[in-house]
Amino acid sequence: MAPKKQKDATIKSRGNLVEDDNLDWLKPRTLLKPEDQEDVPEADLEEEVGRILTTINPQWVADQVAYHYGQGKFVVTPRPTFGKAYPLYIYQGTAIRKDSDEAKAQIAAGYGMVGFDDAGPKRAKVKKSAAEEEEEEEPEPEPAGGDETKAEEEQAAEEEKPEGEAEAPAEDQAPAEAAPAEGEAPAADEEEEGKEEGEGKKEDGAFLDEIIDIKPRIKKLANQFNFCERAALTYNYPRRSVDTQTVPPPRANFGATALQCIIFDYYQEDYARKMKEKEDERPKRLRKKKAKHVKTEQQIHDEKLAQRIREAWAILERLVNQNIYDDIAQDYRYWDDPSDEFREGMGSLLPLWKFQFEPMRCHAVCDVQWNPHYQDLFAVAYGSLDFTNQQKIGCLCLYSIKNPAYPEYSVITESPVICLDVYKEIPYLVCVGLYDGNVCVYNAQLSLESSYQYKSDSVRDKHCNIVWEIRWGPRLIDGEPSFFSISGDGRVVQWAVMPGELQATTIITLTSNVPPIPGPDGTMLTVNSCGSCVCFHPDKPEIFMVGTEDGMIHTCSLKYNRNYVRSMQGHHMPVYRINYNYFNNSIYASCSGDWRVKIWEDGRDEPLFMFELGSPVGDVKWAPYSSTVFAACTADGKVYVFDLNVDKYRPICVQAVVSKKTKKLTRVDFNVKLPVIVCGDTKGTCHVLKLSPNLRVMCKPPKKAQGIDQRTLQILKLDKLLSLVRDPPFQTGVVDEKFDDD
Amino acid sequence: MAEEPAAPGIVTEKVVHTYPLIRHSDMSEEMRVEAVELSVTACEKFSNNNELAARMVKETMDKKFGPAFHVVVGESYGFEITYECTTICYLYFGGNQAICIWKCS
Repeated sequence: MAPKKQKDATIKSRGNLVEDDNLDWLKPRTLLKPEDQEDVPEADLEEEVGRILTTINPQWVADQVAYHYGQGKFVVTPRPTFGKAYPLYIYQGTAIRKDSDEAKAQIAAGYGMVGFDDAGPKRAKVKKSAAEEEEEEEPEPEPAGGDETKAEEEQAAEEEKPEGEAEAPAEDQAPAEAAPAEGEAPAADEEEEGKEEGEGKKEDGAFLDEIIDIKPRIKKLANQFNFCERAALTYNYPRRSVDTQTVPPPRANFGATALQCIIFDYYQEDYARKMKEKEDERPKRLRKKKAKHVKTEQQIHDEKLAQRIREAWAILERLVNQNIYDDIAQDYRYWDDPSDEFREGMGSLLPLWKFQFEPMRCHAVCDVQWNPHYQDLFAVAYGSLDFTNQQKIGCLCLYSIKNPAYPEYSVITESPVICLDVYKEIPYLVCVGLYDGNVCVYNAQLSLESSYQYKSDSVRDKHCNIVWEIRWGPRLIDGEPSFFSISGDGRVVQWAVMPGELQATTIITLTSNVPPIPGPDGTMLTVNSCGSCVCFHPDKPEIFMVGTEDGMIHTCSLKYNRNYVRSMQGHHMPVYRINYNYFNNSIYASCSGDWRVKIWEDGRDEPLFMFELGSPVGDVKWAPYSSTVFAACTADGKVYVFDLNVDKYRPICVQAVVSKKTKKLTRVDFNVKLPVIVCGDTKGTCHVLKLSPNLRVMCKPPKKAQGIDQRTLQILKLDKLLSLVRDPPFQTGVVDEKFDDD
Repeated sequence: MAEEPAAPGIVTEKVVHTYPLIRHSDMSEEMRVEAVELSVTACEKFSNNNELAARMVKETMDKKFGPAFHVVVGESYGFEITYECTTICYLYFGGNQAICIWKCS
């Protein structure tokens, strides 16, 4: 029967599936299938598989034994009624089984005898049907059940009977009669039944009076309270838990041992340390000094060593260079142009070394000056005179003629260097004027890495234009060195070299004849004339002369900062240089961009001599050895040397030093002791030229006074010359003649 | 005879140190000063009862810097502790006492 039922079930489930297929509008359903699922053919699926259920639990151990200590042997443990199931929760119900001992006892006591009779079969029936449901998985009521129940009822009644007989054998017949009566009307209500039964019993009781009347009538045993339970469950919201965890504070481990000995030792140690500190503190200053001294000793040693190595290298370099330029060195020392003997009054210049500094190839030599102390050393200022294409940086170099290959000292400046001056008292101090208006002081003794020692404050007191010339002046009252600078902004500024800074004082502001120009907002702007050169009187330190770009030569005094002492129109173009004669303090030379070199005497408005050189004259310098010799260099690359004593009208030497197409000569300077001059060009090259003997003729003392020294003779020579020129008729004549000549 | 002159030398050298001496500390300056002062006060107050001294230090530290300070006062002991950083102070006091203060909650 079981397989049949199962088949029915499968059919039904298929029917359900079909129904589901009809409901496919609900949702398309695809069956997910694992990939490794075995393919079973349809026939196998259709095959019926029988499943037999038995009441025997195969898990049961049939004859389980346990050792009985009391009896001292193994005994068979009784079979548990619930098999291998373990009761987890036992609820003591109020209903009891009819055939249990307790029920029997109650029945024996007379409770619910009749009630049991009709309740018993019913209950049994329900129980049985439940069991069937479990078995068959189908709550179908069985049509054939009716007969069975009847049979069962009868059976139950029969079972009941022996009990009843056992307790009351006398009333044997009455229940037997009652039972069939009940079986005939099973659908009747319980109570009615009860009543009927009760009546039946009463009738029975009446029938069998003497036996039954002891039994009281009690309706039911199972549930004595007629109550029903009602409950409502509120909605439980779903729970959600949220947690965060903070980072615990950092921890560390520490361990130590505290023992008397350890404590004592540590105290001793600390005490010793404290004592030492105290000791240290007392002679702190002495100790410090000592330490410093010790340190510097080491440093001094290192420095000495480095210095020695450096010196050795320098000597080696010079040796190599001297070997390379041996012929030039020989010429420089010994060669005098022999042709001078044959051409009276004419001389020549012998080019010696050329000095170049590779990084400054495109720069112009803006100023060049021999060192007043070291005769072989000269300083060069690298700037740029091409003002439309100005260089970014400049350079200050010191060259020695002993080493033409590389400068002894070179320092790159932030701005092109336009002018320089070497301090006579301290020949390693060089002040420079820069293109951006700053002035600096360099100390050539300091290491090359360190730049300027002093620099003007770029914000407060620098010049607003190119610094054209810079000259050291006398020391101030307090002993500080000072220097003067003249700039294109029309100011002459005195700079005091204070410790750590430069202090500026404006000496004079050069006024011009141009009337004030109305400014953009109604103010009137005064126009300064642009200074281009400055020259101090050799004897009177407060008197100086200023050349301007409009050709004026002003004589000024440090004491009057408003007005000029004297002012004259010396040239028609910027004055590039004013230079006093070394032997006569009232004679000076000036050169200008108007191609002319003029020789002036203080207090005279007209020049004593005037020479036109056919090109802007960059520089003019008096010779230090002769009162009548001066040299000038021009933009067409020529150096002119004049000796007024030999020729008042023409130069005694004209020599082209550089090609006039590519280069211009900018500055020239006489060496104080050696018969050489140096001149710079616009391509960063310095040319050292040797003066031929005719250019440096000395005065011969007259026979009358043999003991007169050279200086007096030179002064006399110039005075003699001047006395000739000073004559009023001569004076203009010289100029005219000169003009006619050119 | 040779020992005799040495003995007075030792006696003169023997200096009783009573100042607090920090052996190990990573406390902040303020906290450390407080802890040292507190332990000095406690050890002087309860010079013959280390337990009371430790209790006093612990309770005062708890009040001032938050709870769960631990204090050990003793003359010889060893320890290996885990402490919250910047809360340990291990110092000697009175020449023979070691005080360890730390926090770990």
